[in-house]
Amino acid sequence: MDRREFLTAGGGLLLAGAAGTYAVRLLTQAGAVEAVTAGRHRWGMVVDLRKCRPDCTACLEACRLENNTASVGDARWDVHWIRKVHVKPKNGGAERSVVLLCNHCDHPPCAQVCPVQATYKRADGIVIVDHHRCIGCRYCMIACPYNARYFNFKESEEWPNKEFPKRSHGVAESCTLCAHLLDVGKKPACVQACERAQAGALVVGDLNDPQSEISRLVSENSVKRLREDLGTEPKVYYIGL
Amino acid sequence: MNETPQSSRSVLFLAVPALILLLPFAYSLVAYVAGADTAAARPFLEKPDPKYRNCVRETAYMRFHHWELLRTVREEVVRQGKPSETGLKQCKNCHTSRERFCNQCHNAVTLNPDCFGCHYYP
Repeated sequence: MDRREFLTAGGGLLLAGAAGTYAVRLLTQAGAVEAVTAGRHRWGMVVDLRKCRPDCTACLEACRLENNTASVGDARWDVHWIRKVHVKPKNGGAERSVVLLCNHCDHPPCAQVCPVQATYKRADGIVIVDHHRCIGCRYCMIACPYNARYFNFKESEEWPNKEFPKRSHGVAESCTLCAHLLDVGKKPACVQACERAQAGALVVGDLNDPQSEISRLVSENSVKRLREDLGTEPKVYYIGL
Repeated sequence: MNETPQSSRSVLFLAVPALILLLPFAYSLVAYVAGADTAAARPFLEKPDPKYRNCVRETAYMRFHHWELLRTVREEVVRQGKPSETGLKQCKNCHTSRERFCNQCHNAVTLNPDCFGCHYYP
């Protein structure tokens, strides 16, 4: 063969080899990832608004006491990892309160826009902020469609839970789904408080586990998620929204 | 005598800056004479209760590298999710007082690590 044929054949072989290696790696990687996540949790939450009493603030208090969120009494600086919004349906009906918190999306916009990757999604699905790395640019606050992220303007003066760090001035923070409690097998503070308040409206569990209560609730009830049209794939499901 | 020649007054331009530059050394000389390097003035780190014999690392390593150890543990625990037994939270199990242990050296060299603004260490 002449030189042109030799070069064409060589280039084609190289391309085929590179494509083949990449394809093999892609296929085996998918299998490896599935094998890893099969044993992992995928934390989600179900909020049953039928059981949530409008005047109850148990989850709000419990979250503040567990996580040392800033609460100085000023609406400009107070941080509410979990909050209740009172809504009145336009077509009539009783006024209800909707519990809002970080939805720990599967495609989190906050983690996508963070310029230093301080906000990231853990392997078990919890979206969490590494406050050592956060620079306080607040891009995540702009990106979150659920307004669930807060900036720490003023540190909280009290330190109700000495076992858990409090955030210092200048970082962005948001609900962690009490990852420090989930990691040791306990329930988040808001869930425990709701159970103690005899309401049981908040349920946190493993969506990967078909036997868990949350999987049962999601499959049996008519659940809705907030802003599903945005494609963020939130993991907080609402019953009765 | 004649009037003061210019050259002897210009010695001041050398003498005054030299004296100013020598001030820090003079200060440390006075401090040394006054006893700044005695055992009483050195930081005294409180030893933990003898029943805790599992030291994390040997003293020489910890004296120079304890912050590296803490930083490595921080990366592992926070970003990689690996549980650790040698993080800041576990230090206080043996070294129970920040004032009598950590601050002894930190205050002596006016070092202010900002860990304690968020992490509780009594």
